[in-house]
Formats: sequence, C-alpha cells, structure tokens
Amino acid sequence: MFLAWNEIKYSKVRYLLIIGVLFLISYLVFFLTGLAYGLAQENRTAIDSWDADGIILPEEANGNFNMSLFSAEELDNIQADEKAILGQTPAVIEKDQEDSGEDRLDVRFLGIDTEQFLTPDVVEGRLVESDGEVVADISLKEENGLNLNDSITLVGGEQAFEIVGFMEDAKLSVAPVLYTTIEAFQEIRFGEPVSDDSELAISAIVVRSETDELDQITIDNDQLELIPIGDFINDLPGYNAQLLTFVFMISFLIVIAAIVIGIFIYVLTMQKVNIFGVMKAQGISSGYISKSVIAQTFLLSLIGVLVGLLATLGTALLLPAAVPFRSNELFLIVVSMLMIGIAILGALFSVRTIVKIDPLKAIS
Amino acid sequence: MKAIEFINVDRAFKDGDKTVKALQPTNFSIDRGQFVAIIGPSGSGKSTFLTIAGGLQAPSHGEVKINGQRFSTESEKKRSKIRLSEIGFILQASNLVPFLTIKQQLQLVDRVDKGKANREEILTLLEQLDIADLQNKYPGEISGGQRQRAAIARALYNDPTIILADEPTASLDTDKAYQVVEILAQETKRKNKATIMVTHDTRLIEYCDQVFEMKDGVLQEVQLTATT
Repeated sequence: MFLAWNEIKYSKVRYLLIIGVLFLISYLVFFLTGLAYGLAQENRTAIDSWDADGIILPEEANGNFNMSLFSAEELDNIQADEKAILGQTPAVIEKDQEDSGEDRLDVRFLGIDTEQFLTPDVVEGRLVESDGEVVADISLKEENGLNLNDSITLVGGEQAFEIVGFMEDAKLSVAPVLYTTIEAFQEIRFGEPVSDDSELAISAIVVRSETDELDQITIDNDQLELIPIGDFINDLPGYNAQLLTFVFMISFLIVIAAIVIGIFIYVLTMQKVNIFGVMKAQGISSGYISKSVIAQTFLLSLIGVLVGLLATLGTALLLPAAVPFRSNELFLIVVSMLMIGIAILGALFSVRTIVKIDPLKAIS
Repeated sequence: MKAIEFINVDRAFKDGDKTVKALQPTNFSIDRGQFVAIIGPSGSGKSTFLTIAGGLQAPSHGEVKINGQRFSTESEKKRSKIRLSEIGFILQASNLVPFLTIKQQLQLVDRVDKGKANREEILTLLEQLDIADLQNKYPGEISGGQRQRAAIARALYNDPTIILADEPTASLDTDKAYQVVEILAQETKRKNKATIMVTHDTRLIEYCDQVFEMKDGVLQEVQLTATT
C-alpha cells in the first residue's frame, strides 16, 4: 500500500485519468443496472404486490393473460389455501374536462373481488366500494397530475370512474394499474355490464399456498393450467427480452472494465520493469511488489467505483419521474464488488510479468 | 570471519555452441571495514563478479559465503532475503525509486523488512550524508551527486554487512565523483562495512584499501604503490 499510494500521489494526472475511465464505466454500469431493475419492476410490481404463488389460466392462453377469458365459476373447481379472481384488460383513459386528446393515458385495469386477497394496499384515499370507482397507481398522480376524486373516462366508451385511492408499486407491463371491481372490468372489456353472475368472465385466478408449494393446489378442469408466479412473470410479453438485453450489456461492460484496467496496469508495469528490477536487486521480493500493484489496482477501482456510485445516486435524484430508474442496494453492492474484483483479476495479469523480471537485466 | 568469501567461483556462459568464461575460478575475500575497488575495462567480467557477489546470478561452480553462511547455494527466495538484510546495492543512476521521496526510499526498507532498521536513524543518516534538507524531495528534483548520496544512505540504512557499488560515479563530474567515493570510504570505516566498488575510473582508487584488476575474467590484486 505504501508504494501504491505514494506512486498515485506522485503521478496524479496519470492515475486520475485511469480513475476517470473506471468512474465512467462504473457510472454506466450502475446506471444501466438501475434502469434494468427499474424497467423490470415496471413490468411486474403489480404482480409482486399480490404475494401470490401461482396463477391459473386456460391452457390455450399459452401463459399469457392478455387474451385469456374463462368463467368465474371455475373458482369452485380449484382447491387452494387462498384464491382470488382477476380480470385484466389494457385500456386508454383520459381525464375529464380535457378534450385536447393530449392527456390520454395507457393503463391496465385490474378487476378484483374486494373480499379476496388481491385488494391493494392503499396509501392515500380508500379502497374501491362500488363499480364506478378505481384505486390508481401513484405514478398517475406523480407523473400525470391526477388527484383524488378526479374523474376519468374510458376513451371510446362512456364509462367514467372516480379515483378514490392511490397505491404504490402497481405497474404491469410498464403501464400504471387501475384496480376496480370485477363487474366494472366486465363493462370495460365487453362494453356492457353482465346481467347474471353466472356470465361473469375473468382473465385469471390467482392462488396462494401457505407452504409456498404448488403441489397442494388442485384444479378439477383439464382446460386450466397452474403456472408458478415466477414463470408467469418471465413469460410476460417483452419482460425477458428487456432483462436479457440489459444483463448482456452490463456483463459486457464489466468485462470491458476488467480488460481496460488490466491493460492500463500492464502498460504501467511494463514501464516500471527497470524500477522493479532494481527493487528486486535490493532484495525486495516479487511478492511485495505484486501485492503493491494489486493494492494499487484495488485503490484505483475502489475510488473509481465509489465516485461512480455517488454520481449515480446524485443523478438519480435529478432524474424526471418518468425515467424508470430504480436503485437497489443489493445490486449496487454486488455490482461494486464485481467491478473491483474483476479489476483486480485484470491486474493479476501483470503479476506474472513482475515475477519474471530479472534484476540482473535491470541493473546491467 | 570474512564478510564475503568467494571459494573457487567461476561463471561460464553459452554463446552459441561456444562456452565463454566470464569469470575464471576465483578465490577472494574481504573483511568488514575494508574498502575494495575492482577496476578493469568493460566486458572484463567485473559486473559478473559483482552480480555473483550480490546473488543476482549463481556461479557455475564454487560457492559464495556471506558472514560464513551459505549464500550462492540458497534458493532465490532466501537469497532475496539475505540480500535485503546483508547487502546494500549502490547502482549507477537508476538506483532510486522515482516516485518516492528520499525519506520514503528509506522507509520502503522498513516496510519490507520490519525490525532491523531503526526509524530514528533516518535523519541521522541523512545528516551524516549532508542531504537531510532534501528528505522530502523526489530523486528527479535533486542533482546527480545528491542522488548518489541518497543511494548510499539507502544502501546503509538497513545496516548491511556488505556494500556493493556498481560504477557509483558513472554519471558524475570529477569533483562530485571524488566526494561520493570519499563518503563511501568514510562510511565504510565508520559503520564497519565491507565495501566492494566496481569502477573503470582509476583515479578513485586512492581511497581504497585494496585494488583488484579484472582482465578477461581473471581477478588479480594490484599493488597500490605500483599504480601511484
């Protein structure tokens, strides 16, 4: 550490440049990680908030509940610790008193039975009590300026709803969710209310199991299949593609960071072959010199990553709410350690060179 | 007990299919407190002699002992340790680490070999060599003569038995060269070291107790009276 730190102090500009490169790469990695996580969350937070273990869909739906429809009476054919019906449909809404058309919003309506477990945790206002009411994702308030008691209308339909409550983290396939009753869902989906409960159609049945095991859940209907909630999320349209793209970019960046610092340290080591040779002639071991090169890499990457981390957190404060950036402590810590660890791996490349330096050549 | 002792040491190189003897079988020893010069033209084998003495290369035959202990037959790692504690190297100009201040050059020794060196000695040592006011300067900021004095301080700091100086005056003008060798001679006596200096500058040998000449790998003592 003595050699490492004194050299950094002596060649400030050189090492600042290296730290700068590491900072930029780590900033990008952190930022992409935040975006990837944020975007992933926007696909799934509504589903996560159910705390469910499985979802039951018709087999024909192919794991996708956008097109699935079946009778609500199937609920009786299912044995599970907890079960709830769910209707789901995308829709476009607009705020009342606005006719410009600019404030149209893509949303997802989720129709639920408020006596079952899918009821949202309302952070503001209250739960849905009648068919003309919705509980909305808080992003509609923060980003789109909707407020409690505002009235919204379905574009292309006549139904109007009143926002009676807001909840956090309710997004599905990157659209804000509006919870309403299952009857209201029927009306949005089919344009008219059902006259009889036996005609009630739903998109899915969500189930919970006390043991988190799915094998205790039974279905008395061959047409329906039970999908573990994790698989269901992975099969959300576009979800996996987005996630893999980010994971690929991030892992590549981390590898690039390793190569870049590996090359930097290697070039610096080559420049110092003579100095190291003289040190070895004086009896300073390869081990000590190698350790100090590793320590130096550690210092450089630590500083670079920390500055990158601070810059990321700083930027996150300034970002508009519409950017799906979300930081997650665990990810930040893992990515930081990965960056530092892999930078040190790159520096190990130079250790071989140090061990091979012949002091005899250095002094003659 | 001899500070350093060469017992039938020789060194041969393969040059193509010929074998070149860089150092003919040599017996040589000096005591503590002795200042010895080895002169000779370049390519005569004096660098080979010095690097074998410093354990940087192994002899082809024979053995080098330091303080009566095995040295040249030890492993590289062990030799490195002995070198650190028993041998002080003074090289031409590249001796000092460019990114450490004069004081830090000495502290580096503490970092590697804890125990033997005395931290309070740094200032005394630098004062003795008249470079105490340069202790926070980098090697690039001081003159060649001052750098060599710093190199001497660095070599003496760990209190080694032997000082090996390889052309310590190569980059200096005559006045500075005399000064540096004078200091080297002084410190050899004061600190009771065994010093071997390799040089091609025959004017410097007046400070030495004994002078050897290296010619085609053969080491021969030169009678001082004969050269002056």
